[in-house]
Amino acid sequence: MNNEKRHMGMRTLNAVSNTTIHILLVIISIIWIIPFFCIVMQSFRVESTHMVSYVIPHTWGLDNYKNLFAEGSFYPKWYLNTFIIAIFVAVLQTLIVLCMSYTLSRFRFKIRTKLMRFMLILGMFPGMLTLIILYNVLKDLGLTEANSVPGLILVYVASSGMGYYVSKGFFDTIPKSLDEAARVDGATRAQVLYKIIMPLAKPIVIYTILTAFMAPWGDYVFAQYVAHLVPDGYNVAVGLNSWLSLDQIANNYTKFCAGGVLVALPVGILFMCLQKYYVEGVTGGAVKG
Amino acid sequence: MTPAILLKIKGKMGGQTARKFRQGLSSPQKGVESMKKYSDLEFLRLSKWQKFVYKFLSFFVAIPKAILNFFVGIGKGIAKFFAGIGRELADVVTTFVKGDWKTKVSYVIMGFGSIARGQVLRGLMFLLFEVVFIVYMITTGGYWLSMLPSLGHQGRETIVETVTKFGRTTEIETFQYHDNSFKILLYGVLTIFFIVAFIYTWRVNIKQNKTAEKILKSGKKLKSGKDDLRSLVDDNFHRTLLALPLTGILVFTVMPLFFMILVAFTNYDYQHDGLINLFSWNGLNGFKQMLTWSSGGVNYSAAFGEILTWTLIWAFFATFTNYFLGMFVAMMINKKGIRLKKLWRTILILTIAIPQFISLLYVSKMFSDNGLINLALLDMGWITKPIGFWSDPANGAILSKIMVIIINIWIGIPYLMLVATGILMNIPADLYESAKIDGASGWKQFSKITLPYMLFITGPYLLTQFTGNMNNFNVIYLLTGGAPTNAKLSGASAVGHTDLLITWLFKMINGTEPKYYLASVVGILVFIVVAVISLVVYGILPSVKNEEDFQ
Amino acid sequence: MASVKLTGVKKIYDNNVVAVHDFDLEIKDKEFVVFVGPSGCGKSTTLRMIAGLEDISDGTIEIDGEVVNDLQPKDRNIAMVFQNYALYPHMTVYDNIAFSLRLQKRPEDEIYDKVTNAAEILGITEYLMRKPRALSGGQRQRVAIGRAMVRNSKVFLMDEPLSNLDAKLRNQMRAEIILLRQKLNTTFVYVTHDQTEAMTLGDRIVIMKDGYIQQVGTPTEVFEMPKNLFVAGFIGAPQMNIIKTQLTKEGGKYYVKPFGVKLEVDGQKGEDLAKKGVATRDIALGVRPEHITLTHDKNAIPCTLEVNEMMGSELHLHVFTEDGTRLIVRVPTITLDPKDREELVAGKKVYVTFSGKVMHFFDPETTENLLN
Repeated sequence: MNNEKRHMGMRTLNAVSNTTIHILLVIISIIWIIPFFCIVMQSFRVESTHMVSYVIPHTWGLDNYKNLFAEGSFYPKWYLNTFIIAIFVAVLQTLIVLCMSYTLSRFRFKIRTKLMRFMLILGMFPGMLTLIILYNVLKDLGLTEANSVPGLILVYVASSGMGYYVSKGFFDTIPKSLDEAARVDGATRAQVLYKIIMPLAKPIVIYTILTAFMAPWGDYVFAQYVAHLVPDGYNVAVGLNSWLSLDQIANNYTKFCAGGVLVALPVGILFMCLQKYYVEGVTGGAVKG
Repeated sequence: MTPAILLKIKGKMGGQTARKFRQGLSSPQKGVESMKKYSDLEFLRLSKWQKFVYKFLSFFVAIPKAILNFFVGIGKGIAKFFAGIGRELADVVTTFVKGDWKTKVSYVIMGFGSIARGQVLRGLMFLLFEVVFIVYMITTGGYWLSMLPSLGHQGRETIVETVTKFGRTTEIETFQYHDNSFKILLYGVLTIFFIVAFIYTWRVNIKQNKTAEKILKSGKKLKSGKDDLRSLVDDNFHRTLLALPLTGILVFTVMPLFFMILVAFTNYDYQHDGLINLFSWNGLNGFKQMLTWSSGGVNYSAAFGEILTWTLIWAFFATFTNYFLGMFVAMMINKKGIRLKKLWRTILILTIAIPQFISLLYVSKMFSDNGLINLALLDMGWITKPIGFWSDPANGAILSKIMVIIINIWIGIPYLMLVATGILMNIPADLYESAKIDGASGWKQFSKITLPYMLFITGPYLLTQFTGNMNNFNVIYLLTGGAPTNAKLSGASAVGHTDLLITWLFKMINGTEPKYYLASVVGILVFIVVAVISLVVYGILPSVKNEEDFQ
Repeated sequence: MASVKLTGVKKIYDNNVVAVHDFDLEIKDKEFVVFVGPSGCGKSTTLRMIAGLEDISDGTIEIDGEVVNDLQPKDRNIAMVFQNYALYPHMTVYDNIAFSLRLQKRPEDEIYDKVTNAAEILGITEYLMRKPRALSGGQRQRVAIGRAMVRNSKVFLMDEPLSNLDAKLRNQMRAEIILLRQKLNTTFVYVTHDQTEAMTLGDRIVIMKDGYIQQVGTPTEVFEMPKNLFVAGFIGAPQMNIIKTQLTKEGGKYYVKPFGVKLEVDGQKGEDLAKKGVATRDIALGVRPEHITLTHDKNAIPCTLEVNEMMGSELHLHVFTEDGTRLIVRVPTITLDPKDREELVAGKKVYVTFSGKVMHFFDPETTENLLN
């Protein structure tokens, strides 16, 4: 009797705890989705443009979306700015990060550890400080305000070598004997890189491209500072934020929601498709420290 | 890479970390010196409580030592640096004395030795660099350098001309610009970097002469220009690869930071913009202003103290709530018997997939005084006046602070869930199996295996998370913008209750009355805080790892 | 096809750990040399220095008379097989083997001929279009060897190529390497920690410990005339028995007295001792397990049987003498009559002895062989 109870106990306990967990997960999911649900709903609201006390629109319509692309709207320009920046950053930053991380993973040159330590220390300074001088330099070069796109690309890409940790961690896991075998087989170091390592590094390349591509969509600080109140030079983050300022929010709140949805959709879908690689990169990076 | 192979690599990594983890558990505490030390056998005889106290004390006793080590390390570094310079100088002299005439000429005409010995390409590069340097120094560099100590003598001049036309006298103001402090500082810094680069290149040039002589003496051939170029894709391939990234870092991070550190020692602000009114060196006044108590005027030190405290509290809660809740969620999803694992994960990941500025701005507005939540609650008659999620300064704006931390959980858990999932899957199953056979309950398995394993592996990650959260600009700035305003500290560059040091810094350089030098001071102080925390924690962490162990 | 000459080669790591001390060795053309020793003895490091994968801290390495110290691995004309095979996971077996030839920009026809030829020799033709992960350990090993074969290189380096295989496969591959060597007819340098591999494969064996060469010699030499106690213990399985005892010289004849039993050193060994003029002294006496015999003679060394390991064709008897010294005795099963075999259980009293012809004499202080 007692023995039977023990056996039964374990099974029912498991069932109970699993049910509890399922309920918890449903609750968590709802909390996670609500804001996104709200923003989508409100982007379809036609009857008013300010903040209201209900979620489901009384009148549905695409007016907000149409307004985004109406004559005189800066939104298409912001979108284009951000998109161009994101493309360039994705390509250039990936190149730089891969060069850096591969080198630090594979070569044992004299100043290697010193270099890594130096970059670690450098990373402890708030990067925002450099805004002031970078802004002034970019201004001298004519790369601010309406021309902020090339300026921002330059700023984002230039120091990206410091973000080598995750991909270096990945390269470290590719056995070194592959390099050695290839070198014995007659490959130069450069050939080792593009014939052996690159094909194997596909996941980390995708991870780097993905994160590099997504970062400019969310950057506010640099973009705002460099554009310096000239709407032509905004990216979406700065532009949409400007719609939420005290004097604009009443007219532009639902437009903000629509604009946000249009940004979130492509970026989010891209991310979801490449999720696998992102997870790999993030996990590896954390394990490596 | 194919999944199968990846899995293998991961498995291997897991095995190694597991081994190190086990070693870490069994190795005796290091670094405990000034308190009574127990031998392993003595330690085992202690009661549970005593063990805890012992470990607790050991941890704190280790802190001063870690700090001491830090400063000793700096001292040693400096000593080593000067010893190195001494050695270099000695070598420069002996090379000159012992070298042949080609080497000697190279001391003045860089690259001469290389050209004379047939390494034309190398030699020309040296020579070109020398020519560029000399031309630059004569034409402009010298000027910037000479102006650097004063940062300029005269700012904008207003010239008032009285013009009489058609019997009417008008005054016309024209401006004449003279010096520009900002440019002087900027190009002064550039010139200094250039000089350092020149000295370094000159030294390399001498070294090359020395090695070339040695190689020729031993009867071998020197590398030709073609060999040099070829080696750039082979044994010197790392230089090729690093050239671009490091130049970027040097120009866009190192030099700007160097410049900004110097700015902290000036009075560069909106009143001294460097063009209309020049700014000048101001010694440690910026630091004094920020760190010493002043009763009158704007009290920066009070603001700094308050913001630093909140920054640390925020970083602590933001890091650990995310960490434990993320781990909790990961364990829930990964538990055996839970269905739709992929769905839960995907829903959570939404907050990573969607650019933060959208979700944060939207949520910020949702909770604003006339936002969705307040309006809805008012409609339903649950409240009579809006809840000031972002505007209620009561009790040090405790409501806003809690809200910020909660919303950060919404943003942050998914990352931790991913990380924790990866690590949980890497915990060797045999650890759990043997624990089960030993009779460990679910809770024991968690507290004795899962948690220590996670903490061990993610120690450095937690640290970077903590410092990252200290500088988490986006969450605070997009969510609250620092609000509610801190009336007590109103003068100090619009400080709010939820401002972090980093958002405060941004306000200082971004407002209508920017105070650049104070921003620099704050930046340097942030650096110091982060560096001290990192070094101390890193010195104590058990899993400070040898990177080669993974290869 | 070339000779390899190492002169005063040294490897010092950045943390001042010396991995290899003054390594001198001349490997003749077409010779098969095996580096053997426990892990951390510097054997792999030496091999990697020959390959150019590690910098040489001091000394010179010549391949075919040319100093290769500053040459990149690709310019040394060597082939190498790695312990973990190091197959390129993203390439098919064919591409793996063809990789080096493609780098040399050989015509595709020639590459095809060479690769299929090598695959045939190694019996992996049917796997040519597979990726390495779809292969078993033994097949991967063959691919790795095939990759090295097609290069027609001067020297063939192998770094513990069999240590990732299971015991049965290892024996099989060992035999195949011997066959391969006959086909390729080139210079081999082979690293292993397994003395059996070393003995069966090598023309000459280089035994290393802690970065020093202990002995260089043919398998027979190192087995019959180990230079010191380390070599004596390392070569041969089970290990040689070492007995602390005294060597006495009485009237031109030598005697040892292990465990109170006086045995005469006769035959060649006795003459050698006399020639060297060795006087009475303490020694470490070495006797291989297969040279100890069981006897019914009650004057022999009395022992108690502790463990009896039945290996099939022979028995390994672990016994201890009256003073507690443990010895291992190897007895061919066929020499025992079934009744005696039944009685060999733990606790049984047995008597052992050995002939004077098979003794090894070592200086207990310096561990050197006295007859060296």
